[in-house]
Amino acid sequence: MAGKGLAARSVPWENDMTVCRTWQARMALATAALALLAGCGAEPAPLWPGPQAAPLAQADAQRGRQRIAEHGCISCHTVPGVRGPASAVGPPLRHVATRAYLGGVLPNTPANLVRWLLDPPTIDPRTAMPNVGLREAEASDIAAYLLTLH
Amino acid sequence: MRTWKRIAVMTTLALAALGALAAGVLVYSGWYDVSATNQHLATTYRLLDVAMRRSIALRAADTVVPPLDDPARAVNGFRHFRAHCVQCHGAPGIAPQPFALGMTPAPAALVATAREWPAADVYWAIRHGIKMTGMPAWQYRMSDNEIWDVVAFLKVLPTLSPAAYRAWDVRYPPMPAAMPPSAPGQIENARLGDARAGRRALQQYLCATCHTIPGIAGADRRVGPPLGGFADRQYIAGVLPNTPANLMHWLRHPTQVDPLSAMPDLGVTELDARDMAAFLYTLGGDR
Repeated sequence: MAGKGLAARSVPWENDMTVCRTWQARMALATAALALLAGCGAEPAPLWPGPQAAPLAQADAQRGRQRIAEHGCISCHTVPGVRGPASAVGPPLRHVATRAYLGGVLPNTPANLVRWLLDPPTIDPRTAMPNVGLREAEASDIAAYLLTLH
Repeated sequence: MRTWKRIAVMTTLALAALGALAAGVLVYSGWYDVSATNQHLATTYRLLDVAMRRSIALRAADTVVPPLDDPARAVNGFRHFRAHCVQCHGAPGIAPQPFALGMTPAPAALVATAREWPAADVYWAIRHGIKMTGMPAWQYRMSDNEIWDVVAFLKVLPTLSPAAYRAWDVRYPPMPAAMPPSAPGQIENARLGDARAGRRALQQYLCATCHTIPGIAGADRRVGPPLGGFADRQYIAGVLPNTPANLMHWLRHPTQVDPLSAMPDLGVTELDARDMAAFLYTLGGDR
């Protein structure tokens, strides 16, 4: 990306052919070097890879998205991909898959996310988020969708 | 003449672009070694040192230095020195802690600093800290008077032999509970403070290491919830209705409000809580 942007600035020299060729050669070299470096860095996985949806094998993220709409989650949370008026009662759920804690108290793992969705007050008696009476399968679907929100 | 100008402009642009590209390649390729074991070049070190000294001297120039020769002041300063400084800087006959031995730049031996730096500069460095070194700013943790106490002790430090320092250590034991935890309970008067001071305070309490906060450089973490749009949020941490009084209380004592919270008590003063709340209420809009 960076190499591309910088190379685009070489346009002013196009009218001088010899200079142009030299610069273009250098630019190309540098861009190639950058590309190579970027290519080499096939990002190694972080120490803790983050909540993968894999443990929720039976769950279906698209069904989860439907269920978020059905269960009225958006009356409190703004959820990307689910239509409705923006609400700021609870925190926005954009990037929730990369959030470290759920409700500020529970480490964000797939299993914990399902637990939290099923019954927040049992986990944190002080939380304003109610138990909305989800069944386990529904909570898993919703969790699967939320874990797509990076 | 016109051709000349064009060539000159084009050459300048070309050199600038090449320079930017070279800098980009150097940064992105990872060529620069950030390890703490790899020392700066002698010239780089000199340059950074001069820049630091000149920067501090300029900013400390107008500081009014209070009388520092009161022995009681030095004793009080010693207590703070032992609690907060000796871990990194060491003392006569006393090595810094292992973590401090691995720091780059190395924490100064304060005997040398006291012999070379004027009082105002020492005060300024303690109060404001020094960017890109391990030196923290103490102004959010100590009163100005206490910082001057430390300066008063540093004035005595070069006269202390290792034996004399140990004698001080025995003669002036740590005060029991020198810093009592701030009194619990709600803030009575929920008047907000200064948003700009609050922005600085948010950095000084390391809020940026956990929260994404618009307007604060580097605040892009997702350990806690994002604080963009905070003014429109209905609840604080999902537990308290978002009112100024509740926010200030939460900022100071999150574990009292919700014992399960991952957010720790950071020793936020009442004044800083007012300022931080004022800043957080500037964060509107949907995010």
